[in-house]
Amino acid sequence: MIDLHIPATQSSPEIHSEHAQGRLVLRGDSYPENSYELFNQVFEWIEGFLAGQPRRALNLELHLLYLNTSSIKAMMEIFDLLQAAHDRQHPISVSWFYDARNERVAELAEEFKEDCSFPFDILVMERSTP
Amino acid sequence: MLDLYAMREQFSQQQIMLCFNGPISRSLLEEIGNALRNYLAADHAHPSASMDVFAVYIEMTQNIRHYMTQRDWSEQDASATVVVSRDSDGRYVVSAGNLVELADGERLVSSIDALTGLDKSELKSLYKEQLRRPRGQASASGAGLGLIDIARKSSEPLQASLRPAEAGRAFFSLRAVI
Repeated sequence: MIDLHIPATQSSPEIHSEHAQGRLVLRGDSYPENSYELFNQVFEWIEGFLAGQPRRALNLELHLLYLNTSSIKAMMEIFDLLQAAHDRQHPISVSWFYDARNERVAELAEEFKEDCSFPFDILVMERSTP
Repeated sequence: MLDLYAMREQFSQQQIMLCFNGPISRSLLEEIGNALRNYLAADHAHPSASMDVFAVYIEMTQNIRHYMTQRDWSEQDASATVVVSRDSDGRYVVSAGNLVELADGERLVSSIDALTGLDKSELKSLYKEQLRRPRGQASASGAGLGLIDIARKSSEPLQASLRPAEAGRAFFSLRAVI
C-alpha cells in the first residue's frame, strides 16, 4: 500500500501516512476551494488501510488549525468512516493537538468529537510544534 | 484627479484595515488572506478573534468565487468588493459584496434574514444538519454551510442588502461583526 506524503501549501495541510505504524498525520491550515479533491486521497488511504488483513489499529493524529467549511465537511466524512470501522470493532483512535492560545481549534475538535464514540483525545500543547 | 487625501481620510475615519475591489482569483484571495493575517497579528488581535476574522473572510470570498464559477461568469464579472474594518467598539467587521442575478440575490437575502432570528444553539443545530446534507443538495437550499458558519462567528446578526444594477442583476452586500 502506498503511503501519502503530501507537502503543505498555503491553503492545504501536510498529509503524511505510515501504513506500517497505522498512523495518519494531518498538519496545518485547510481552506482549499476544492477540499474534496484533497481529502478524497485521505479517504481512500483510510479505506484501504481498514480493508487490510490482519486488522490493525489506526491512529489519526491531527495538528489542524483553521478549516474552511468545505474541509470541515470532508473531515466529517472521514470521522464517519472511522466511526463505522469502530462499530465493526476495528481499533480506532484520534488525537487532536492544539495550541493553548487558540481555543477555537479545541472548540472545532469538540464538535467533531460529539458525534464519535471511539477514543478521541483533544490535547493542549504549550507551544505549537514546528 | 483621484483625491487620495480624501480617500485616506475616509479610510481612517471608518477604520478600514484592508480593502479590495476587482476580479478576485484564487491566488489573490489567498494573498489578501495572508496580508489580513499579518495585519491582525500586528494589531495584537487575540488568536481566536484573528481566526474568526480570517474564517469569515475566507467563507465570504470563497462563496463569491463559487457563485461566479456556478454562473460561469467571465473574469471581469467575477469581481468582489471586500472590506475589513473596525467599528466604534473596536470589533472587527468583515464586509463583502458582489454582483448576482436579482433572483439569486433575493433568495440569498431571505435565507440570511432567516438566520438572524436564531440564537447560538439554534445556529449550531442548523449547522450540523446542513453539514450532514449530501453534497450538491447543500447548495440548492440557498442557506449554505458557509453562511451559517459566518453567523455563528458573528457577535451581531448578519446584515445583508441588495441594490438593483444593470441587466437584471443586483449588487449583494453582506456585513458580519465579529
